Amino acid sequence: MTIKEKGYAHWDGELQDGRFPWWPITRFGIKLTFKRKFFKFFFALTLIPALVWLVGIYVSERLEDFKFMMEGETDFLNVNPLYFKTYFTNEFLLFMVVMILVFCGAGLIADDLKHNALQLYFARPLKKRDYLTGKAAVIFFFLLIVTLVPGIVFIFFKLVFAGSLQFFASYPWLILSVIAYSLLITTFFAFYTLLLSSIGKNRRYVAILIFGVYIFSDIFSAIFKEIFHSPYFYLLSIKSNLQQVGAVLFDQRTPWNFPWYYSLLVIAAICLFSAYMLKRKVRGVEIIK
Amino acid sequence: MSVEVKEIHFSYGKIKALNGIDIRLPQGAIGLLGPNGAGKSTLLRILLGFLVPDSGEGSVLGYDIRNQQTMIRRYVGYMPEDDCFIPGMDAVSFTSYMGELSGMPRQEAMKRAHEVLYYVGLEESRYRMLDTYSAGMRQRLKLAQSIVHDPKLIFLDEPTSGLDPQGRKEILELIMDISSKKDIQVLISSHILPDIEQTCSYVVILNKGEMAAEGQISELKQVQYSLYELKIKGEERAFLDRLTKMDSQVEQTEDRLLKVYLAPGIDPQEIFKIAVEEKVQVRHFVKSQTSLEDLFAEVVGVD
Repeated sequence: MTIKEKGYAHWDGELQDGRFPWWPITRFGIKLTFKRKFFKFFFALTLIPALVWLVGIYVSERLEDFKFMMEGETDFLNVNPLYFKTYFTNEFLLFMVVMILVFCGAGLIADDLKHNALQLYFARPLKKRDYLTGKAAVIFFFLLIVTLVPGIVFIFFKLVFAGSLQFFASYPWLILSVIAYSLLITTFFAFYTLLLSSIGKNRRYVAILIFGVYIFSDIFSAIFKEIFHSPYFYLLSIKSNLQQVGAVLFDQRTPWNFPWYYSLLVIAAICLFSAYMLKRKVRGVEIIK
Repeated sequence: MSVEVKEIHFSYGKIKALNGIDIRLPQGAIGLLGPNGAGKSTLLRILLGFLVPDSGEGSVLGYDIRNQQTMIRRYVGYMPEDDCFIPGMDAVSFTSYMGELSGMPRQEAMKRAHEVLYYVGLEESRYRMLDTYSAGMRQRLKLAQSIVHDPKLIFLDEPTSGLDPQGRKEILELIMDISSKKDIQVLISSHILPDIEQTCSYVVILNKGEMAAEGQISELKQVQYSLYELKIKGEERAFLDRLTKMDSQVEQTEDRLLKVYLAPGIDPQEIFKIAVEEKVQVRHFVKSQTSLEDLFAEVVGVD
């Protein structure tokens, strides 16, 4: 049978002007990430702190039952804003968040650049912001699962295990802190990852960048701090800046001795720079002048 | 008019890519012809809204190329020249994904993806990962993604590049089928003359960013010039110089056959007069059947 004999039929439907034209990009990005080798394992690993903190909340309400296991200090089981701040800013969680970014974020734009796919996207009724929103939403999906979702679950189960609304009455603003910090960390890492993903065409190279910039910013800030004895060098560290702002959002003492809004400014500056670079780098055709 | 542009200028930095292009394209299959670097792809990209012209105006399907790019892309299909795909997908997912991005509902896009993959001859390998596709299969896939949303107009940028003769024949058959029987207008950008001659009735020839010729191929071949093939004996150089000065172009083939493109209004008897004056013998003289290649050589220039 030759090709012509098979025939071409017109499609009798109507093309829709959807409210969320970026949604197919997000759905595909999430699906593809779950297909990656070892991703499910790493993702499950990232949820371990949430599980531990949840058990902590349960134990905190049943201290008498678990007394035989507890020796001495039980203050760490006080479920209060510090408890939440410790979860959200603990190094293991932040490290695992970066690992998730390596899996779900490295190839988001890099793969499209490598395979000249941007022109396929932009030959569709998609704007640049739709494309970037679709890609960023993939990161939002995974990071909110390990930040916002556990935060809300903690509050919910604290109320359930306690059997009263006392906790909510004591810290009515806590849920806002959880939402604000989750959005802060997710937005920051979305910009950070998309920027690095738009720099290279090789996802492995980008993965190394995502991991390397995060780790080395921390190492170098610590080295400079030791040499010059100034806490301001922690402004060079991504992790430290997030911890500094996180402490303020949960109404805790900041870990470093400098104004917290400096850290917020650094985070905002990185986001703005990323947005500017993405605007320049993501386009339907590569123009070599 | 589905595509209409006026005085389009575009530069890549200091390099002028398009210089005052004026086009009004009629219905049917249209060839955009020109040597490499003529500005064909740039023009297509401007029509799609990927690039904004430095000056000039235009419309595609009635939508303004400066302000209504989204609407243009909704109703236009585009098959890029570059090898492009999205890794990690099979052909059905990819094609349906492209349909969804065009605004098709998810279920409809999936159904339609199967249909168009069947149409382009990829039905057997539609569940294979794209990373494992050959160049020819990817070319078919690019065509499939360009028609999945049933566009009114398709831009095909070098649709047969990298294909073997059989693959090329099949792609051209598809293009002819789409353009002649399905009410879909096709604009084919190519530097492969036989492809254009086979599939199109109307041609636009670009050269160095400027319009070199435009019109129905059949009319252009008749009106633009007359082509004569001749063989001579004697001192060639002076004879050829005289012919060239007469506003004609001359091309010499490897077997020493001279192709003389005479401008309109020049009497072929002039060739014999010059031969007599330059003392060369004309041993073979035939008015040749002109091809698009000849037209191309005449308007673009013969090296």
